[in-house]
Amino acid sequence: MKRLFYLFASLLLMTACSGIDCPIENAVFVNYAVMKSQGGEEVADTLKDTLWVWTRRADGDDTLLFNRGVNVRSFQLPASYQGAQDTLVFLTVDTLQSFLIDTVWLSKEDIPHFESVDCAARYFHRITSVRSTHQAIDTIIINNSQVTYDSSVKHLYIHFKKK
Amino acid sequence: MTRRSSICISTSRRSDARQTTGHRHLRWLLILVVFQLSLFSASAQGFLKFQRDSIPFFRGFAVSADLVGLAQMQLGDYGQYEAALRLNLHDQYFPIVELGLGRANHQDDEVTHISYKTSAPYFRVGADVNIAKNKHAKNRIYAGLRYGYTSYKVDIDREPFEDPYWKTMTTYNINDRQCSQHWAEILFGIEAELVGPLHLGWSVRYRNRLSNDDGGIGKTWYVPGYGTQDTSNLGFTFNVIVDI
Repeated sequence: MKRLFYLFASLLLMTACSGIDCPIENAVFVNYAVMKSQGGEEVADTLKDTLWVWTRRADGDDTLLFNRGVNVRSFQLPASYQGAQDTLVFLTVDTLQSFLIDTVWLSKEDIPHFESVDCAARYFHRITSVRSTHQAIDTIIINNSQVTYDSSVKHLYIHFKKK
Repeated sequence: MTRRSSICISTSRRSDARQTTGHRHLRWLLILVVFQLSLFSASAQGFLKFQRDSIPFFRGFAVSADLVGLAQMQLGDYGQYEAALRLNLHDQYFPIVELGLGRANHQDDEVTHISYKTSAPYFRVGADVNIAKNKHAKNRIYAGLRYGYTSYKVDIDREPFEDPYWKTMTTYNINDRQCSQHWAEILFGIEAELVGPLHLGWSVRYRNRLSNDDGGIGKTWYVPGYGTQDTSNLGFTFNVIVDI
């Protein structure tokens, strides 16, 4: 009987833990990496200009998504929960205070993501296409279309024009 | 509806919601090893040894109902109705089939405002072994294994909410999403004769998923027959058993 007690106790000890399993990393962002082409290869680059990114909200006001990025190598921008296409305005200002404005259109599919009734409702996304104007931006390439909690994934490679 | 709190011996809040398969399997393996060791130890004492005597091999059937799932269903927002049919082989081995209907109806969580609904049947098959020294005593101590399976659909909704950046109203609906799960259980239980053919028994069960399809939504919450996935893998049953 003593042996059975020990078995029961060891089972309890190993399984006594319970908790709410909401992920600590629970933000969903589109990760941009500043890149350049070198000998046909994509290599990391740094944007020398200062970068701001805005979008337009449903109420018609602009909202700042990325503020005053200097020597940017990568940055994160949110994606709308349910918009089929996000319109983003990129402003780059060089050291001579001249500026260029680009518009980026990011099309995506929105996928409701569920962890538990205790965890906030979230959307994952699948990027279907991206296009832009070409004032400062040269090209934007989809590297990984799946936008999830994983902040280590670089979803888009953005190439700025060389001056 | 109250938000659940939990106390545990060691907190294991993971950096990612998905428990790694390796970690899960390692823990499962550990439990199996402990279980096997205890059985080998018990076997050495003759607990598992077939007791040769004049008692016939086939001793009849028993039907049982679980009161814990019923109480969960009545008192909380999830639970299960469960009944079982068990064979008695020489008061020593008990092949068993457990059938149930699991339901969850969690409405408008007070923190996340998420509603979760599912209702589906499930089954478990397995066997118990009477590990008491005297196999033919009125009371039994047993250990057992189960394999469980359910195929279920979930409805998950949230009242419309505002996108924090775009300020658009967002809906969140997952309807009729088909999911399924295979799992295994190790259990330890005690059963006592109350009067005549009526027995009462309880069991504590360690459950672990073998494989699952969460319908591509991330995770499901309450799985019929398995319980909620965000709490301990430990389950309990309290059975009313009638020998036939």
